[in-house]
Amino acid sequence: MEALRDAFDFRDFSKVEQIILVLFSIFLFIFPWLGFGSFVKTVMIYFLLFSLFGMGWNTIGGYGGQVELGKAQYVGIGAYTVALLMVWWKIPFWVSMPIGVLIAVGYSFMIGYPLFRLKGHYFAIATICTSLVLQDLFINWKLVGAAKGIELPIRDHPDFLYMQFKSDTYYFYFIMVLFFAGLFYMNWFRKSRLGYQLRMIKDDEEAAESLGIDARWCKIKAYSIASAFVAVGGGFLAVFNLYVDPYSVMDLDLSIKIALMAMLGGAGSMWGPIIGAAFLIPLDRFLGSWLGGQKGLIGVDFMIYAAMIMVVSAYQPRGIWGIIEQFRRK
Amino acid sequence: MGTEGRARISPKFCNCISLPALYASRQFFHTFPFTKGGRGGIDEEEVYIVAFLQVIDLVKDFGGVAANDHVSFDIDQGEIIGLIGPNGAGKTTLFNCIVGYHKPDSGKVLFKGKEITGLKPFMTNREGIGRTFQIMKVTAGMTVLENVMVGAFCRIDRRPIARKEASEILAFLGLERVKEYHLNELPIASQKKVGLARALATQPELLMLDEVASGLNPKETEEMVDLIKKIHHEKKITLFLIEHVMEVVMPISQRVIVLDGGEKIAEGLPKEIVKNERVIRAYLGEKYAKGL
Repeated sequence: MEALRDAFDFRDFSKVEQIILVLFSIFLFIFPWLGFGSFVKTVMIYFLLFSLFGMGWNTIGGYGGQVELGKAQYVGIGAYTVALLMVWWKIPFWVSMPIGVLIAVGYSFMIGYPLFRLKGHYFAIATICTSLVLQDLFINWKLVGAAKGIELPIRDHPDFLYMQFKSDTYYFYFIMVLFFAGLFYMNWFRKSRLGYQLRMIKDDEEAAESLGIDARWCKIKAYSIASAFVAVGGGFLAVFNLYVDPYSVMDLDLSIKIALMAMLGGAGSMWGPIIGAAFLIPLDRFLGSWLGGQKGLIGVDFMIYAAMIMVVSAYQPRGIWGIIEQFRRK
Repeated sequence: MGTEGRARISPKFCNCISLPALYASRQFFHTFPFTKGGRGGIDEEEVYIVAFLQVIDLVKDFGGVAANDHVSFDIDQGEIIGLIGPNGAGKTTLFNCIVGYHKPDSGKVLFKGKEITGLKPFMTNREGIGRTFQIMKVTAGMTVLENVMVGAFCRIDRRPIARKEASEILAFLGLERVKEYHLNELPIASQKKVGLARALATQPELLMLDEVASGLNPKETEEMVDLIKKIHHEKKITLFLIEHVMEVVMPISQRVIVLDGGEKIAEGLPKEIVKNERVIRAYLGEKYAKGL
């Protein structure tokens, strides 16, 4: 009960934040009826999806301060589980997604246990490596479609069990529900015992250990929570794209994007990942389609993207949210 | 020369021989199934608990430099013990070996009769040993209250209770006014107090303070001494403190242990220690000590 109360209790945020949150929620609810085209809808879906990824990353990367660059492997696990179970045994999405999350959590314990012996950059590098190894494995594994990937069988009719719809609106509402679930979870998490302990570990790991905190175990727990978030998103990605291949769901690019968005927005804060995704996803999509389509300008979108990240991180290492807080304190 | 110090500590050295033997027999009773229940009418605890914290023959070597060289001592429950020594004497290393940041090369640490040698810091904390740090990392990550709440979360699961507990401790230490500040916004004296508060919040039975008065001005030092006395008096916590500032260590310590070059050179009442020739030599150096 207390956990639920904590999750829905936004009172410790300022009035402005609360109002923005309410307005934003209303906007999300009515968004499909605002008459935007499918491109904007897709951008919006990706924004919510990456917010969810970012919130997951934020548990270990933001609150725990462990720079983690291997989240794509869990996106992959979530997506592949949903896709494969559907292709092999026609298992509906609502069963296969929790299974995917369970596998991701189990795998994250296996990976996390040895990896959290490492600290700082070494940990970051090791997470990249495990992610790359898994990707290579899936690229060469014939049973799961190898590099070609797998296509999900398309149902004749829109099917809620298999999460196949004609309109993006349904996908939008589904990811919105996941987004809010993630938001409420994070609201609980930041006030939980684990949340406090992780922040202490980020600040000063030695001191944290002297206060009876098993730093390694806490990190492993946070890592598996992050993995669960990301695996949910991965499952959604599979049914949304109806196609899974190692390059789209397990790429290093994806891992870095997830971490970057949260860091740009402000790692270790409630709104950071959402702000980061709100900046980068539209930028990524619009610039990509606008500049990428023009002759001779291919790659310029990446330059703008990179420049923005550099400027923000040079100005305020705590990201956009850090800048906002800095102004608020004045 | 120095025989005075030797003579005084020699009875304690007997522990080095007898305690491992006792410890071994205790282990034997534990492994021997038939004696586990009754143990022949002997209350094990009564027989074997000799002291609250026992350090037996502790050796810690850092690549040829003996930071702690066969250090042994006991602490009884309810005492305030000072640990002094010149720079590089191995005081902090000794702390780290007891708490578990370093694994001693040999020797034993027993807390309430239970061996805690080589346990990780968080485990020794859960056994009931709290510590503070000489140099605190000050970051803008958490407020003072949150810092102390993390300490309270060691024994308490629920946030409201942890919060209440933390507030009480902050009030006890006179920090309630700075509760919502971040650590890096506070003067060093308050930072040290926060370090003390969060260690206290884990409800330790033995609190180890690493240079709690370093970097403080005389007035703040005086306050800190009062605070330490208050903690000892009201919370009934055994205190073990490393201290450079003699104004702190001499008036409050019931016993003082002196380390030099990793070895324990003296142990005794503060007023005896200040007259001890080896201690004076260690502090002033050979040249100046001769002139005395």
